[in-house]
This record gives sequence, C-alpha cells and structure tokens, in this order.
Amino acid sequence: MRKLISSITVFLLGGILLTTFFTMPEGAKELSDYYISSGVVDTGAINLITAILFDYRGFDTLGEATVIFAAACTLAFLVPKQKVHMLSARFSVIVQQSISFILPFLFVIGMYLIFYGHLSPGGGFTGGVVLASIVILTTITFGISYSDRQVRPRVKSLLESFGAIGFVIFGLFGIFAGGAFLANGQAGFDLGIPGELTSSGLIPYINFMTGLKVAAGLSIMFTSLIKEE
Amino acid sequence: MGIILHVLLVFSVLIAIFAVSTKNLLNSVIAMSVFSASFVIIFIVLQAPDVALVEAVVATGITTGFFVITLNKLEGVK
Repeated sequence: MRKLISSITVFLLGGILLTTFFTMPEGAKELSDYYISSGVVDTGAINLITAILFDYRGFDTLGEATVIFAAACTLAFLVPKQKVHMLSARFSVIVQQSISFILPFLFVIGMYLIFYGHLSPGGGFTGGVVLASIVILTTITFGISYSDRQVRPRVKSLLESFGAIGFVIFGLFGIFAGGAFLANGQAGFDLGIPGELTSSGLIPYINFMTGLKVAAGLSIMFTSLIKEE
Repeated sequence: MGIILHVLLVFSVLIAIFAVSTKNLLNSVIAMSVFSASFVIIFIVLQAPDVALVEAVVATGITTGFFVITLNKLEGVK
C-alpha cells in the first residue's frame, strides 16, 4: 500500500515537472542576448560564464562562498578532534605509489583551472574542489596523521579565512574606485586585451581567492568528518 | 549526436532506478557515481563544458568519497 502511494506521488510529480518543461515559455531573451553580445566588452573575460559568475552576479558568488565557509566553520566547531581514528582500510604499495605520482598533476590541473578561469572552462570553484581532492586522497591513502602533518589544520583555516576576507576586500576595491560593490569594468579598472592571462581586471584575483577558500573549506570539512571521538 | 544523447538519457534513468532499488548501500553509491558520469557526457553533448567540469569533480569525485567514508563509519549499523 505504501509503495503504491509513493509510486503514485512520484509519477504525479514527474508528470507535473514534465508538463512544466514542455510548456515552458521562451522567457525574457533580452538579458541573455545582452550578455552574449557585450559581455566581452564589459568584462574582458572570454569565458562568459566566469564573466557572469564573478562580474555581473559577483554578489551571488559571495553568498555561495559564505555557505561553504559557514558549513566548514560549523563542522570544525561541532566535531570533536581529541582522538584521531582512521579507517581500517590498508592499501598496497601500488596504490600509494600511484597516488603520490598523481598528486602533482592534480595540483597543476587545479591551479590551471583557477588561473585560466576567465579564458577557458573552469573557475575558482572547480579548481578549488580539485585542490581539495589532493588533501582527501592523501588522507584516504596515507592516513589522517600524515595528511595533518603535510597540510596543518592551522594553515588550512588561515587559507580559508584569507580567501574569504580577500574576496570581500577585492569587492571593496570597486567602492574605493567609485563604482558599486564588486564592480570591475564599471569602476574603471584596466580590462586589458581579452584573451590574455592578466586581462579582465579583478576577475582572476577574485577567482584565486574563491579557489583558496573552496579548497581549504572542503578539506577542513573532510578532515573534520573523518575524525572520531 | 542525438542518438548519443538519447541513449545516455535512457541509461541514466535505468541507473537511477537501480540505485534506488538495490539493497546494498555501496552499490547504490557507485551507481550514483556512474549516473553522474553519464551526466558529464550529456552536458558536453549539450555544449556546457563548465557545468560538465563541476559535475565531474563534485558529483563523481567528492560526493562519492564522502558517501564511502560515511558508509565506512556506519559499518556496524544495519
């Protein structure tokens, strides 16, 4: 009986969503047309998604970064960390050697995604998650005590706070230059030539701060969750 | 192009049904990982490389890691 009711609910919900999808109106296309036609001129970033994330909608990105910051802070505050207990899994030499072979390449990929966020697909969030996966792989393979010795928890919390404060300070630059909060091209910053590494004003720096924040925040979350009383 | 998209959509529905209906939690987690992997290809076919990157890194990597760690912690619980 319960299965029948739940399956009817699921089918009803799916039908509603499907009809909504197929009868969806085209919506306001002026805004997306504006982004596509004059996004590069306004922001200097070739990758329009980064232009929207870190310039037009920079305040929303600050909110998303705050969510990760709050989650990491709450986990680090709530989870006890007196006694460290690691998983019972033991890996062979092959796994350890191949993981330690992969790690530098992962670091390069993460840094590439962060620094080329305004030129190619990627950005601060993706690169930060790749950087956090380095700490996670080290923790799973070599144990929590080794990982904590390599990247100290104090360093991680310092990096996270640095990223959060740096994001806000780069946003305040816009106010000091006479524009709005997180303003970039509107505040008169030099946008450079679109397509170069140091182009598009403040976007690469904000990208870097977001990447540091996300990497440190996710690794703090993981190392807090893996510890046990 | 269209054939790949439709095959992957049907495959992801089948994988999702398997992930819900299987009794073993680890199988379910791995099935969700495969589901995300098929969505990565769907996003690339739909020309959204940014979303595909995020999906590949977050859903296939980090989320599976968190779930496996949680299952490892819950070993004694049935």
